[in-house]
Amino acid sequence: MIEVKNLKKTYDGREALKGISLAIKDGEFYGLLGPNGAGKTTTISILSSILTADSGEVIIGNYNLEADPKSVKKIIGVVPQEIALYNELSAYQNLMFWGGLYQVPVTELSKRTTELLKLFGLEDRKNDKVKNYSGGMKRRINIASALLHQPKVLFMDEPTVGIDPQSRNLIFEVIEKLHENGMTIVYTTHYMEEAERFCNRIGIIDNGQIIAEGTLDELKSANAVKETIAITFSNLEESNLKEIASFWNDIKQIENTVHFYSSNVKADLSKLVLQCPQLGLEIINIEILKTNLETIFLTLTGKQLRD
Amino acid sequence: MIKLAIKDLKLFFKDRRSMLLTFAIPIALITLFAFAFGGAGRSNGDTKISLLVSDLDHTATSKEVIKQFDSLKSLQIKTLPLEDAEKAIKKGSESCVLVIHKGFTDSLKSGAALPLELKYDEAKGMEVGLLQQSLIPTLSMLPFSLGNSKEAMGNKLAKMTGTSNPQVRQTIQTQSNNLFDAISKGISENGSKKKNNPTKSFMGGDIKMTKLVKATNDNQLGLIQAVAGTAVMMLLFSVVGIGMGLLDEKQEGTLKRLLYSPMDPLNILFGKMISANIISIFQLLIMFLFASVVFGLDIISHLPGLLITILATAFACSAFGVLLASFAKNRQQVQGLSTLIILVMSAIGGSMIPLFIMPAIMQKAAVISVNYWSIQGFYDVFWRNLSIFNPTFISRILVLFLIGIILNSLAIVMFRKNILKLT
Ligand SMILES: Nc1ncnc2c1ncn2[C@@H]1O[C@H](COP(=O)(O)OP(=O)(O)OP(=O)(O)O)[C@@H](O)[C@H]1O
Ligand SMILES: [Mg+2]
Repeated sequence: MIEVKNLKKTYDGREALKGISLAIKDGEFYGLLGPNGAGKTTTISILSSILTADSGEVIIGNYNLEADPKSVKKIIGVVPQEIALYNELSAYQNLMFWGGLYQVPVTELSKRTTELLKLFGLEDRKNDKVKNYSGGMKRRINIASALLHQPKVLFMDEPTVGIDPQSRNLIFEVIEKLHENGMTIVYTTHYMEEAERFCNRIGIIDNGQIIAEGTLDELKSANAVKETIAITFSNLEESNLKEIASFWNDIKQIENTVHFYSSNVKADLSKLVLQCPQLGLEIINIEILKTNLETIFLTLTGKQLRD
Repeated sequence: MIKLAIKDLKLFFKDRRSMLLTFAIPIALITLFAFAFGGAGRSNGDTKISLLVSDLDHTATSKEVIKQFDSLKSLQIKTLPLEDAEKAIKKGSESCVLVIHKGFTDSLKSGAALPLELKYDEAKGMEVGLLQQSLIPTLSMLPFSLGNSKEAMGNKLAKMTGTSNPQVRQTIQTQSNNLFDAISKGISENGSKKKNNPTKSFMGGDIKMTKLVKATNDNQLGLIQAVAGTAVMMLLFSVVGIGMGLLDEKQEGTLKRLLYSPMDPLNILFGKMISANIISIFQLLIMFLFASVVFGLDIISHLPGLLITILATAFACSAFGVLLASFAKNRQQVQGLSTLIILVMSAIGGSMIPLFIMPAIMQKAAVISVNYWSIQGFYDVFWRNLSIFNPTFISRILVLFLIGIILNSLAIVMFRKNILKLT
């Protein structure tokens, strides 16, 4: 469905994309995971033909983007990272306007608008001006605005930034429904929970390059990632930390909790439970953190996904 | 494109601030200027500007001239010795005095420049300007209305050609005599049709321009100035506001979303142009309607000319607004730049101060402003009473459309270069 070869893009001398290649199958849910400034939005902008790449080739649904951008634009929907709506218009008016740009007949458009408003739980607020909406409600309309022409491919650029859990869950459900109905989705995020929850395949992008790609399991096994034992103590002094470090070098302290990184949780867990009380530390909680994208990312780049 | 324009219109009419800027403020300004220029409430001619005259020539001819001025509807003539008149002006109770210097009659006969002087109070420039305007027609007709001037005109024409060849002079004299007879005939015919208005303006006061033009609305001059001047200036402000919608779209990300769709990006600009034109036409109509209802400006009998001028003005001005917006990087930039440009254009183009009281050099400079062409167009329609087929009027309308076409084309180029570039 989507075929991207060696995309490069430079902004005023700074390389934002250093050769991105992707192959995404029909109906696939592809996650593009990366920290701030990795090049996610740049990639999406090029794929949606509002930005031209310096070099590289993009084919979406059998159309070459450069040769036939109009055909590509007809079959894609884009949810931009920033909320892009007319604040002075109502949700209904916004949806009708955005759908109108795709030549959907008015009666059909009105029907779809009503359906989408229902789907996103905003039917009773549809005539309110968007500017009076909460952040979460705006996000919902921001997504709905990309769906009126029933695109085959949907690009979503961090669609859940800064919203309340209720809106988030609702959006997740809608996204899952869209995927079940066969839509191809490219989803960028720096929340690994989201990538883990939805994505068939994940590409990890950093500094304008895809540094790893595969299913979650593939990524885990390929990267020999350690798991995390998080132990919370009743009190933790600077001196305790030094003592711990003397027998366990791969640690991280977060307030009264210490993360011990381990490649063999079972063995290490009993070791820690014995050793820590010997230092005079009282354990009040133990948690095993499953390997996730964050740890994979950390292993790959030595950086946190989020600051 | 139409959908985009409709959306813009919806947004526009929801925005209270732009409504205020487009309608309320201009109406307030028009009212203010209408009173300031003395156009308001004078439509039945019972308020007159008073003019002091000091006659230092003391001849029958100069007395006749004063009589002619006195017969003007808009003037109230008082003759005073020069000293007294100057005192009154300095005191502030009078605005100016027309001094007829010695030698006036002789100059009139010989076709030389008339030794007339208008001593006035600078603070009352506006009133003096109006006064000047009502004097010009009579003054320029003096050679005809006071007889014995066939020779004078011939002399003057000959002087203008600068020749000393007696044969050429003879030809000029003959031609001039024929012309003179034709004009005199024209005057007496017109005069007999409308007894109470013996003078017809003689456009420009230049003997070379021999076309007789009716100017029956001279007491509405102030009002026309107030409406046309203000309407055009305020229109410029509001079209810039509409143009800035483009920058808002960019800043708020909706431009990006418009670009995601399969339509041609230029439609975004065309949509803006259409909505700017519609709003402009609407605004101008409201302004003239207001002037008509409140100040009695006769728009009905000038309707075709008014509508044509409104269309041309709207076209030129909205192109200006859209172009400014497509030049700039952000709202603040346009705001500063546009305010400056609009104020300068309005000042030199005659939106604030009537052009006819400005020095000649300023009047020449005025042609670089949109305001000038548009205001002159409105003058043509309401004051000079030109028909819509008159070449002068048509040329102004064409200039306005030409300005619009040029600015719109530039806007397209700049839009591609600045607005569409998202990097
Ligand atoms: N218009 C621009 N002009 C110059 N540099 C830009 C522009 N847009 C992005 N960049 C740079 O390109 C790089 C990639 O940016 P991009 O927006 O694609 O990152 P991102 O992965 O979407 O980040 P985020 O998670 O913050 O949205 C960054 O270094 C950014 O500073
Ligand atoms: Mg981004």
